[in-house]
Amino acid sequence: MKVALESYGGLAAAAGLRRPPKVLDTTALPAAAAAELARLLAAAAATPPEEPDGRARDAMSYTVTAQDGDRVTVLEQSDAAMTPAFADLLTWLRKHHAQQ
Amino acid sequence: MSGTRPINCIIPPYILDKLLDSENSEVRQAALDTMLLTARLRGERAIRSSFTGAAAPGDGRRTVFDCEQEEFLRNAVLARPEDGPESTDPAVNRAFDALGLTRDFYKEVFQRNSVDGQGMRLDGYVHFGFKVNNAFWDGRQMLFGDGDGQEFSNLTGSLEVISHELTHGVTDHTSGFVYHNQSGALNESMSDVFGSLVKQWSLKQRAEEADWLIGADVWTPGIGGDALRSMKDPGRAYNNPQFGKDPQPDRMSRFIHLPDTKRGDFGGVHFNSGIPNKAFYLTAVRIGGFAWEAAGTIWYEALKASSAEDQFQDFATTTFQKAGELFGAGGPEQAAVLSAWQEVEVPIRGVPTGVARIRSFAANGSGGAGREDGLAALARQIGTLNDKVTQLAKDVAELKGTR
Repeated sequence: MKVALESYGGLAAAAGLRRPPKVLDTTALPAAAAAELARLLAAAAATPPEEPDGRARDAMSYTVTAQDGDRVTVLEQSDAAMTPAFADLLTWLRKHHAQQ
Repeated sequence: MSGTRPINCIIPPYILDKLLDSENSEVRQAALDTMLLTARLRGERAIRSSFTGAAAPGDGRRTVFDCEQEEFLRNAVLARPEDGPESTDPAVNRAFDALGLTRDFYKEVFQRNSVDGQGMRLDGYVHFGFKVNNAFWDGRQMLFGDGDGQEFSNLTGSLEVISHELTHGVTDHTSGFVYHNQSGALNESMSDVFGSLVKQWSLKQRAEEADWLIGADVWTPGIGGDALRSMKDPGRAYNNPQFGKDPQPDRMSRFIHLPDTKRGDFGGVHFNSGIPNKAFYLTAVRIGGFAWEAAGTIWYEALKASSAEDQFQDFATTTFQKAGELFGAGGPEQAAVLSAWQEVEVPIRGVPTGVARIRSFAANGSGGAGREDGLAALARQIGTLNDKVTQLAKDVAELKGTR
């Protein structure tokens, strides 16, 4: 499974248009890490996103795209309205990419 | 991680609830004190909010919380209240000090009592999320990420970034510029303008001494001499392999059209803010002196007089009108406003382009503005009018003589 994280918007939105997505392939991960990521993805996909109230300024948005064969899951949320499950997934991905 | 976190204290919450019903008043008081202390320490907003009806607005009292690299404000820990001691965490103290400077700036310069004009409390949350490259205003409070050390360093490291976020609250409570397209770019520009002014005011810098940069202290810490935005030179704040060249336009002919979506930055609000930013910079340096005095006052009064859907031309016209009302029609301040908008190719409604060009010339002369140039232009106009009146009087006299 390939998992891509895109970040856009925010205080640096003008520069962010050039920010490339960060992609990982779970086949390159240890089995435990791959299983944890799959669990986090399933939890985030199962939790309905919170509706932003439209009052946030400079909030950053995130899109996580998981492609597993023909199956594609796309999740999008923002700093200003984020479910705990999506936040867990985002933090896991950030920590993973920070180590690369 | 879950949405709620158990309150960590020696006495479980359900026992405290029971103790609140005790017949012994000392036990009840002790239980209440424990619950309040726990709530304060954990920054438990749900409990605090039940007291808001009884609380005074607070004259912009500051409270800084530590999110401990999580995204959930309800879990944030109280780090420094208004009357509390300095923290051992520099990010907490930087946020605290910047909130205070911004609050004092609005109070002293514009007699505005906090963000809403009514003493709204100022809450800041530091260490938001894991290495988040952002700072934002969520409609009620400010949140600051730590940055990843490449794109951004800790976002509390920039006074104008903190003032920028707080000014979003001021804009929401004044014009309410809608956060899309041109009105959204005006919203962003207001935050840059007053963010920069707070910094200049704190340093007591004159317009010509200021750097007019946004986020220079936190943007790409590994690259020196750049910034997130430049009000003086939109489009030239940075140029590096990772992010390319700063795309901000500095005039209407370079306006960037983007879709009104999240990915399109709601119509390029962080792009096209370069145009009104440049207009403010030009106005400030052409008037000269401290930018928060004349230019800042013109912009602040225009912000208060504007409407949510206003476009660049609407706002430009409002600043022109305010300059006339505040400093005199045809004066150097109004001429500076006119010439600034002229240079960024935003026409002022009701001022023909030809007239604008002549007055702009009077205002910027060979590149600089000054009271003498403005007065000289006014004197020339009065002289021309006098000549015409004199000629008219002669014509009338001649007509009378022929009868």
